[in-house]
Amino acid sequence: MNTFVNQFSTSSALSVIKKAQAVTDDDEEFSDAAWGSEAGFGSLAKGVPSFSVPAVQDPTSFLRLHTDDHADPNCRIKIQHGTTTLAFRFQGGVIVAVDSRATAGSYIASGTVKKVIEINPYLLGTMAGGAADCQYWETYLGIQCRLHELRNRERISVAAASKYLSNLVYGYKGMGLSMGTMICGWDKTGPAVFYVDSDGSRLKGDLFSVGSGSTFAYGVLDQGYRWDLTDEEAQELGRRSIYAAGHRDAFSGNTCNLYHVKEDGWRFIGNYDITKMHYDGPGDVPGSTKVAYGYDVRVEGRTSSNPPVAAAA
Amino acid sequence: MATDGGAYSYSLTVFSPSGKLVQIEHALAAVAGGTTSLGIKASNGIVIATEKKTSSILIDDSMLDKVCVICPNIGIVYSGMGPDFRVLVAKARKSAQAYWKIYGEYPPTRVLTQEIATVMQQATQSGGVRPYGVSLLVAGWDVNRGPSLYQVDPSGSYWAWKASAIGKNMVNAKTFLEKRYNDDISLEDAIHTALLTLKEGFEGQMTEKTIEIGVVTVPTPTEIDAERMAGPNDRPKPTFRKLSEEEVRDYLAL
Amino acid sequence: MSIMEYNGGSVIAMVGKGCVAIGSDLRLGNQALTVATNFEKVFPVTDRIYLGMSGLATDVATLREQFRFRVNMYQIKEERDIEPEAFAHLVSSTLYERRFGPYFIEPVIGGLWKTQGGEYKPYIAAADLIGCLNFAKDFVVAGTASEKLFGVAEGLWEPDLEPEDLFETISQTLMNGVDRDAYSGWGAIIHIVTPDKVVTRTLKGRMD
Repeated sequence: MNTFVNQFSTSSALSVIKKAQAVTDDDEEFSDAAWGSEAGFGSLAKGVPSFSVPAVQDPTSFLRLHTDDHADPNCRIKIQHGTTTLAFRFQGGVIVAVDSRATAGSYIASGTVKKVIEINPYLLGTMAGGAADCQYWETYLGIQCRLHELRNRERISVAAASKYLSNLVYGYKGMGLSMGTMICGWDKTGPAVFYVDSDGSRLKGDLFSVGSGSTFAYGVLDQGYRWDLTDEEAQELGRRSIYAAGHRDAFSGNTCNLYHVKEDGWRFIGNYDITKMHYDGPGDVPGSTKVAYGYDVRVEGRTSSNPPVAAAA
Repeated sequence: MATDGGAYSYSLTVFSPSGKLVQIEHALAAVAGGTTSLGIKASNGIVIATEKKTSSILIDDSMLDKVCVICPNIGIVYSGMGPDFRVLVAKARKSAQAYWKIYGEYPPTRVLTQEIATVMQQATQSGGVRPYGVSLLVAGWDVNRGPSLYQVDPSGSYWAWKASAIGKNMVNAKTFLEKRYNDDISLEDAIHTALLTLKEGFEGQMTEKTIEIGVVTVPTPTEIDAERMAGPNDRPKPTFRKLSEEEVRDYLAL
Repeated sequence: MSIMEYNGGSVIAMVGKGCVAIGSDLRLGNQALTVATNFEKVFPVTDRIYLGMSGLATDVATLREQFRFRVNMYQIKEERDIEPEAFAHLVSSTLYERRFGPYFIEPVIGGLWKTQGGEYKPYIAAADLIGCLNFAKDFVVAGTASEKLFGVAEGLWEPDLEPEDLFETISQTLMNGVDRDAYSGWGAIIHIVTPDKVVTRTLKGRMD
């Protein structure tokens, strides 16, 4: 801090550097204190740690012992894993579609989870893995993106934002963070999608799906994806893919939240009940064929077990 | 080698050229030499009774049981060889308990009779064994067929009877029963008829010591329903029981 | 991962006034993957007894045949239909035969028995995978959604429901129960057993 003692001390090389650092230093530590568990009431002094760490010799392995449920399904801290999220880039922008189911073991804890995190008007993040981790760090990312805007008088690129998040979670590697997210937006380069996860991976790509239902979503997505999709076609593809995952994956379902990112920022398209899409289709929405998605419903009267009247006769 | 069976009277049961199983005929002869037993089905129950004969007055006949309880709803009596009967009683009791273990209830009379008949039939077809030297009267009650009376022979054949007799005096006894029997005879009357029938050709004095009686009583509809709703720890109320010596004495006095 | 949750699925039976209801969901899964949505878990045993089984699907199929065999043998031997109590004991003893290598199913039995007065009384029972019988006066449940079904049934069931009301109660219980279970659902089937007929209805449910 710029104390008087510091300001008026003899200008040794070291103090000059210190002074420069203090001036140029951004508010990283300050914001951590305000942002952390002290909720703004804690000390605003520099270097206040935001997170308390287990008081053991090796906190990383301690946390891994208790949180890594890949290695030990009976671990104490359960992290919500079932999900389907997807995002893809196309001529008309980025489509982001997610389900809304939260499960704790086999129990469906909620069917109305918001798995798209609105970082700022131009950036969306998706949520898979630990709900708290995604929510916390992507909101935090939103703050850093705003600070970037204020400092640089221009919006942060999707690449930079995703890299910021990636570097951040990498710093906590091995301590049990669980995130599989897609950072989506529109910047100077056009529509952009980055996949970032808590292992530290960061991938640029046209098309991603994350979560336990991702394989089912990929099946529909890969089959219907083209760069030159119209906006309506793209939205329908997003909906249809989440439906497929919701239908087949036990840990995905309830509803689909659909977003479309264009040059002027993201727009929420709608919320669609997956069972309703199965029996009746998505309703009167742009891009919809107005046909029910459900296989049995769609092929009624046209299967061997249930042939059309003419064939039966 | 037996005198009348000739070459076909080995212990192994084999057909004679005329189509007979001589060993079974011998077994039937053993039955025909045994003390008389009989059973009568009444409108509201069944009675089975037998003559208990001892070769010497020195024998303590209190431990001799000729009418046996198999399970709470079924009892049997025999004519023929006592030891063979004992073995069959043990097998029948085991079979009834095995049935209870699977279904949580005791077997219907017919099913148990079939089980015994199967055991007896197997003795006519297995190597190294001889047929059982007994005929049985099986009396029991079950919810589906009500009171029923069966006879099982050494060959393994069985029939249902309204009234029947086996043993030494069976021919006379059956003739007697045919005259006395009618379809709506009560259990009390049937018990008296049973005693009267045994009296025909009875050697010596008929006392509570020389007569054994078992009866099946039909439960009321309320009792039947209560039984079905009973918990797993409630013991079934028996429908077959042996009469005590006092009860037998009272019947003889009448 | 418990083997009892490998395929998912749930069953339930309820007592009504002179009738019983028994039903199951229709999902057959391979852990999280939903493989089929027409897998019924309730089977007729006699005209008035139904048997439901939840758990490992291969064992459900095997035991369905096993019980069919044993009930047919019983019918031939005794020249009569098996009664619910005797059948429940048969189920129990069949499962206990495999005490040290059990079939991974939990059975639910629903049926009617005739009193001496000619009136029919409802009977339901359930058992664990090694045959410990649980007779209930109200309802029994089994399967991956059993905890949820207990909760909903506890709230909805009431004594002496007529067949139509019992159908509504068991349907609402099953549907709302499985909607909170990831491994059950995708439609349901309900049988209402009354003295003179059995009404079977397939229900549309959430397909996710």
